Amino acid sequence: MIAVKGRKVNTITNGIIDNGIVLIEDGKIKKIGADVKVPDGVKTIKAKYVMPGLVEAHCHIGIWEETIGWAGSDGNERTEPATPHVRALDGIKANADEGGLKAALHEGITTAQVLPGSANVIGGHGVALKTMPKTTVDQMLIKNPSGMKIAFGENPMRVYGVEAKKMPSTRMGVAGVLREWLQKTKNYMEKMERFKDEPEKQPEYDIRLEALVPVVKKEIPFRAHAHRADDVATAIRVCEEFDVNMSWEHATEGHRIADYIAEKKVPAVWGPSLTSRGKWEMRELSYETPLALYEAGVKFSIQTDAVGSTIRFLPICAALSVKEGLPYDYALKAITIIPAEIIGVGDRVGSLEVGKDADLRLLSGDPLDIMTKCQKVIINGEVVHSL
Amino acid sequence: MIALTNGNINTITNGVIKRGTILIDKGKIKDVGNNIKIPKNVEEINLRGKWVTPGLVEAHCHIGIWEEAIGWAGRDGNEATDPITPQVRALDGIKANADEGGLTAAYENGITTVQILPGSANVIGGTGVVLKTAPKTTVDEMLILNPSGMKAAFGENPMSVYGKNKVLPATRMGEAGIMREWLYKAKTYMEKKEQFKDTPEKLPEKDLKLEALIPVLKGEIPLRVHAHRADDVAIAIRICEEFGVKMSWEHATEGHRIAKYIAEKGIPAVWGPGLNWRTKWETRERTFETVKNLVDAGVKVALQTDADNGKIGFLPISAALAIRDGLSEEEAWRTITINPAEILGVGDRVGSIEKGKDADLRITKGDPLDPRSQVRMVFIDGELVFSR
Repeated sequence: MIAVKGRKVNTITNGIIDNGIVLIEDGKIKKIGADVKVPDGVKTIKAKYVMPGLVEAHCHIGIWEETIGWAGSDGNERTEPATPHVRALDGIKANADEGGLKAALHEGITTAQVLPGSANVIGGHGVALKTMPKTTVDQMLIKNPSGMKIAFGENPMRVYGVEAKKMPSTRMGVAGVLREWLQKTKNYMEKMERFKDEPEKQPEYDIRLEALVPVVKKEIPFRAHAHRADDVATAIRVCEEFDVNMSWEHATEGHRIADYIAEKKVPAVWGPSLTSRGKWEMRELSYETPLALYEAGVKFSIQTDAVGSTIRFLPICAALSVKEGLPYDYALKAITIIPAEIIGVGDRVGSLEVGKDADLRLLSGDPLDIMTKCQKVIINGEVVHSL
Repeated sequence: MIALTNGNINTITNGVIKRGTILIDKGKIKDVGNNIKIPKNVEEINLRGKWVTPGLVEAHCHIGIWEEAIGWAGRDGNEATDPITPQVRALDGIKANADEGGLTAAYENGITTVQILPGSANVIGGTGVVLKTAPKTTVDEMLILNPSGMKAAFGENPMSVYGKNKVLPATRMGEAGIMREWLYKAKTYMEKKEQFKDTPEKLPEKDLKLEALIPVLKGEIPLRVHAHRADDVAIAIRICEEFGVKMSWEHATEGHRIAKYIAEKGIPAVWGPGLNWRTKWETRERTFETVKNLVDAGVKVALQTDADNGKIGFLPISAALAIRDGLSEEEAWRTITINPAEILGVGDRVGSIEKGKDADLRITKGDPLDPRSQVRMVFIDGELVFSR
């Protein structure tokens, strides 16, 4: 058992407790409040500001390893436009010296969803993991699979149409490929079900279609990479046709389509923002978009899309959104509880509540102040980083 | 409710009404004529002799799908990776944003309804859609007919895209062959679906390419057949008759060579683009006189710009040039309003000023076919979407 005492304890979901105490046992939050009694002999750690570990809903740390080059570029199996059977899990380097993981841990980003990239229309399964170093990635997981990556717009068009002269070369083609695979999966599932008592008549086990079954059953959502408003409209159109769930990853043109997204109840994962407008479809990238999404009532989180140590700028992205008008409290939620909910682990992380995982970030000051230092990080009740 | 008064109204289907009134209610034309009582508390717009025509209808274009000025990142018109792609949809490639060059040029010039089709690289290119050009957040909110047809292409385009890569079709024979092959596959598939509808275990697996062709075989949507040459359209007609499929003739560049045959077959023609140079051999006979030849033979003709950008705004100039080359003014008007509306299958809603139709109106100061006349107001579904 350990106790954490903060001059301010921001629970995110139940306000700020002045001079609050978080009592931790067996990796979980046992008690929280200003009047919590710390049992004798329990070690107490003090900090100016205590909050839940941050949650990054969309990144590529460990899968594009920092500074290695092609030998560590595991994010895009860019050899076929539909690779549902590949898993981010199998590309993640868990070692403590991996640049992205280390940066996440040191900044107190304690949960992250690692996704395949966006070269393919269907890119493979993502996973949600805790960022404390372990021997293998398997020991870090909290949700696997956490979603199926899909991609619209320029990336698949460029990789296949422009470079490989293969389908998809257009937005029509991207939608066509996606529909084709969803339909194949539905056909496969129907046959499996119809012949469940006559296994000899069942189709052969198909590893690609099996990977899409949880999507069609709505057990996991599509993580739909799209920058432009028309691309997300296509994603929604296809998802509605096949009755599957999705989140909108990047949401660069969110301001153009915020009301529609709110009405469709599609969560958005906005970003990366601390970057240049690298391609045409990103030309409207602006910190005003989070405010537009907020005002329309879209549930959204802020993401770095990090392939390395840029993940540590997650709180700065939130701060810059506040500068353009996003309410301070929402900005903090957009890097804690909301991404936790979007990746399906909101019952375990993202806020300081009794029963939740004891993932804490101990700070020298205000979390959105660029000068604030992250002094200690606790994951599952263990101090895993200390300045 | 809005009342437009003192307009010179070209209804297209019921003559011209001088100094008339149009009443607009809930997006529709409630009444039109000379002696119309204007109810109380109605917003009145006095047109002071300006011209009112129905919003123009462009039966064949690619706006929003080849986005203007972007380059490859906005080029969604031809999924030129497979000669047969019935499963793709223009719908999924259209950028609806108000700042898209082609869409903006369309509604600012009073072109209020358009059919957007995939390109002609593939023998079967995918489904098209008909939409209103008023900018919306998503293309889904602009649709009035989806799908509106299945794009098919004959002649040089598929031959050059595939043949030069040593892939079928390299010839006109190959084009016809692959078209027949897929129509036959879809027919067999459709028959099996019907035959085994009560024994699901014998049903063929759902195939999205073949599914997309079923509405064509059932006559619910036509093939939109890209063909410039007379012999190419003759091939298309031959195949369509073999399978009992409907078609329209898109481009119809050699229409003058085959006008009577087309009229006899009852096939509508969507002629154009006229304001373009003769880019390839099969377009070498392009002339505006063809429009008159087709109309005189009794073919239902629409004019098209084939625009993938702002040149869609020049649709009325094409009509004016057709008049210069002999077409009557009345017929010319039909080629950019009611004829394309009917060819697209939305003639009950747009293309003329009649009671009960959509209030899509183009208001100009001066003769609406004079290129010097400014478009002053554009209404779509009863809303003023552009004015100056």
